[in-house]
Amino acid sequence: MTHGEEGEGVSRPGVPRITVLFDRPERSYAPHDVMTVRHEVDGVAAASVVAFERSVVWYTEGKGEEDLGVHHFERIEGEGGTSDSIPTGSMSLRLPGSPLSYEGIIVKIRWCVRVRLFFEGGRDFVSEHVFELGAVPPARGAVERLA
Amino acid sequence: MSASVRLPRFFGKKRGHRRTGSQAWGSFGEAIFYSLLVAAGLVFGGLLLTGSVGVGADEAGVQWAGWWLWIFTALIPGALLAFGCSGLIRTVRGWGKSEERRAAAETIIELLEPADQGAESRPDLPGIPTCDDLVDSPGTILRYRLPIESPESWRLLGIGLFAALWNAVLALFAVTAGLDLLGGRVELVLLAVLVPFLVVGVGGIAFFVRRLFLTTAVGTTQLEISDHPLLPGASYDVLLAQGGAGTFTSIDLTLETEESATFRQGTDTRTERVVVRRELMKQWRDVLISPGVRFEAHVTLSVPDDAMHSFISEHNAVRWRIVVHGRPDHRAEFVRAFPLVVHPAPVGMSADRSQPDAIPEGRS
Repeated sequence: MTHGEEGEGVSRPGVPRITVLFDRPERSYAPHDVMTVRHEVDGVAAASVVAFERSVVWYTEGKGEEDLGVHHFERIEGEGGTSDSIPTGSMSLRLPGSPLSYEGIIVKIRWCVRVRLFFEGGRDFVSEHVFELGAVPPARGAVERLA
Repeated sequence: MSASVRLPRFFGKKRGHRRTGSQAWGSFGEAIFYSLLVAAGLVFGGLLLTGSVGVGADEAGVQWAGWWLWIFTALIPGALLAFGCSGLIRTVRGWGKSEERRAAAETIIELLEPADQGAESRPDLPGIPTCDDLVDSPGTILRYRLPIESPESWRLLGIGLFAALWNAVLALFAVTAGLDLLGGRVELVLLAVLVPFLVVGVGGIAFFVRRLFLTTAVGTTQLEISDHPLLPGASYDVLLAQGGAGTFTSIDLTLETEESATFRQGTDTRTERVVVRRELMKQWRDVLISPGVRFEAHVTLSVPDDAMHSFISEHNAVRWRIVVHGRPDHRAEFVRAFPLVVHPAPVGMSADRSQPDAIPEGRS
């Protein structure tokens, strides 16, 4: 397993540190592959977390408005903010056949594992860990811009 | 170490591709906005019902208008109420939920109600457009006849609509001026306005008729394909059939990939389109087409191994098409596009397909 990206602002006190470990160091999967990830949460008091969500999503980037598709979603709610609310666990799931990761000129498609913590008072913290689905090479450039 | 819980901020920061602004404050603002719309609708509706705004009645309370005016007037508070209530319901349903949770709920609804999805994408191939409307027409020689997307046709329709609307307005002015003249009055201002209007109106009709002649004189273009949808690395037989009469300097057949992104710019919604791949499949030069005998040619279409598949979402798309670009002698050149759907290559589906789709391994 390899360490994934960590949550934003990891050096600040009071900010959670979320680590996602992928079963493939290169974080590259073929369509319909089984992906296994392990996630760990540090730097946060268990009592302050009221819910936890883990999801596997794709989203678009680029010039257009962002579109989002959810392949897997799971929400875990703790009762009264116990340590069970901050799970360090793993999930294994089969990836879909599409859409494949794509680095276009004005349209980009990214896949990621998102881990989101919800705190008392309504604030939340999200950590995103990108991986590749498929092996489509980046677009080579704009041939023509249409009106 | 403990997490410090701070008050939500009105103004967030952009960190990479994400914003740190509070979703709760955003939802709160939306709720206030929609509540104000509902309140405005209730106030206007109340004033209308109590007769305070005096619609349809004079000072003595005598009705002077029929029921249609009441319905017409009720449109404004009705629209405010409908827009406000639907927005409030949407805000309340999404309150405190992450965008993944909301999107997951929408996905479940789409799976339960496939009829509401339209022709956007198949549940087993998310993000890939369906090609039902591309395979419902059998070809005369090959398996499918591809539907045509002709920019010229839309341009012709636009010119025709413009000419019709302009001349309708012109006719109104002309009738008014004619009645004035019959009544012995000469409105010089109206006549002065009519002259340039007449020039534009006649010019619009002439331009439309000329475009119509040029478009129809070229003849129809037909494209047939041996199979659909397409797969990367595969080859397909394509038949081009061009009707009409006369000589074509050249006819080009190209395979194109286009990216399309829709975004908001101020109050406008704009769509940008970029061709990111263009491969010339075949070019014919000095093609002579006799009346009643169409030009026919078979071409092999090879989809590149590393091709990105067709993709469609609410605001973004990757589209494939075959484009026929014709340059007839002494006539305007034309471009006709035939959309295609490319699926991902079927890789990695062998051994692992026996495993279940989601296998949560639990938490510690």
